[in-house]
Amino acid sequence: MAPDDSAAAVTDSGLDTGTDTAIDASIVAPEVPVDKPATSAEAAGSEHSSPAPPQPAPPIDPRTQLRLRNEGDHLVLLMPSGPQSEAEGGALAWGELLQHFRQRLNGGEPFWQPNTVVHLAASDRLLDARQLQALDDILTAAQLRLKRVITSRRQTAMAAVTVGYSVDQLEAEDTLVQSPPPPGKPLAEPLYLQTTVRSGVEIRHPGTIVVLGDANPGSSLVAEGDILVWGRLRGIAHAGFGGDRDRYIMALQMQPTQLRLADLVARAPDSPGTDYLPEVAYVGNNAIRIAQAQAFARQHFDATLGQGAQPTDAF
Amino acid sequence: MTRIIVMTSGKGGVGKSTCTANLGMALAQRNQRVAVVDADFGLRNLDLLLGLENRIVYTALDVLAGDCTVEKALVKDKRQPTLGLLAAAQNRNKEAITPNQMKELVAGLAPSNDFILIDCPAGIEMGFQNAIAPAKEAIVVTTPEISAVRDADRVIGLLEANDVKFTKLLINRIKPKMVQEDQMMSVRDVLDILAVPLLGVVPDDERVIVSSNRGEPLVLEKQLSLAGVAFNNIARRLLGEEVPLIDLTATHDDLFSRLRRFLRGS
Repeated sequence: MAPDDSAAAVTDSGLDTGTDTAIDASIVAPEVPVDKPATSAEAAGSEHSSPAPPQPAPPIDPRTQLRLRNEGDHLVLLMPSGPQSEAEGGALAWGELLQHFRQRLNGGEPFWQPNTVVHLAASDRLLDARQLQALDDILTAAQLRLKRVITSRRQTAMAAVTVGYSVDQLEAEDTLVQSPPPPGKPLAEPLYLQTTVRSGVEIRHPGTIVVLGDANPGSSLVAEGDILVWGRLRGIAHAGFGGDRDRYIMALQMQPTQLRLADLVARAPDSPGTDYLPEVAYVGNNAIRIAQAQAFARQHFDATLGQGAQPTDAF
Repeated sequence: MTRIIVMTSGKGGVGKSTCTANLGMALAQRNQRVAVVDADFGLRNLDLLLGLENRIVYTALDVLAGDCTVEKALVKDKRQPTLGLLAAAQNRNKEAITPNQMKELVAGLAPSNDFILIDCPAGIEMGFQNAIAPAKEAIVVTTPEISAVRDADRVIGLLEANDVKFTKLLINRIKPKMVQEDQMMSVRDVLDILAVPLLGVVPDDERVIVSSNRGEPLVLEKQLSLAGVAFNNIARRLLGEEVPLIDLTATHDDLFSRLRRFLRGS
């Protein structure tokens, strides 16, 4: 199975040799120019694009979910921007936002001590006292304490003061406004989830996602970094969301509904295989390719070894 | 401590109400005080399955309006007086009630009952939100079909996110013969995906239809069918007994099916 051809492992063209495995994942999005991976992000807007396989990567921004960031002695709860009022369907979006946040907290191994202080970075989002309370409840259940609200909206500041948080009011144009990052910005810390990612759950993260458990059909993982699933990957996984093709999707059992790497899309073959070994999906020759983890590791991660003399089969 | 359990599935037609009626009855037969609550406003049918349709005087909405007490609205079953039904209003829809009102209703029933089973409507909209609001535990009903399992998976995720911590799985309408011939998902396949503790497996049984039409839950039959035994076992498991799963394959594991399997090479 694994290509033992040591000559291939020496050069970079060895990328293509590990493809003789279970999934034939070679459907490339034809319309997408090869050297402009950012084009797929331009169509951003609708979140629920139907997953029709041979299309460019769908427009989902991984920064549209609530997430926690470690700041040393406290955590910051980052809120996606978007001043949605109840009138324009904001109430529904708010409910989903909380839902996703709860699912994320449930699955996460807490990396904080009980009673850690949280600062809410609400950017330009409009929040009322009830919504702040809802957030507080969720955080309290996770043994976190909401202390401070940082916002650029006057009404949000007023609401926060009324409920009894200390408030930092910022100018509207501030670094906390999370527009898509300028190129070169480091990725967020990896998100570690110890849970079954179930149907309907969508995890978005501007960094690497590690899932200790299965990702079930109907789930979706969207990361700007890599995606590692220590279990079965049966949903949709999209790594390198920002357009970075040097990202990997790894799973103990690769049975995805769909794989997306940067601007490329591939789907599983119609007739599934029977036995599965750990596999890695990567981009080679402008298509998504899948290799067995062992063979892949030999070729890619031991590049330095590969530069030395190669032992022959006789040894 | 009253156990408040929501019976839910996401997908419709997998047998939530049938399971609720049978489990409620089986628990009541074991001297538990049980209240079954129909949360399917506008499409109620738990009363039909229990044969109590013509005795409903007050519904949950009357209780909330203050027209009667919750005790009074509870329809007592003649056959098992420890079983009561709180009916939903048929002339309204799911938006007629809020999650907090549902909690209020259940809180009213809690002191005088050991079990409260809430029959959840299909879907994950308002009716579902209402039904799970008061619940501490959940029984997710699914059939061994890919669509039902997918919906069950979604529902389990939603339950987790809504603080219903103890979710168990009930696999309904399994056809042992088809499983043996590899034409239907097995119990193991379903558990593989859903990864929640199994409460029980109920075989497909035509007598369920008869019993529904008559309004007599299967567990009331003198000569229990296999499905009736399965429901009884589930009730016992809910009460903390350790009951092994019944071997559904026994009747189908004859010489011919063995031969067929041998020839198929599995």
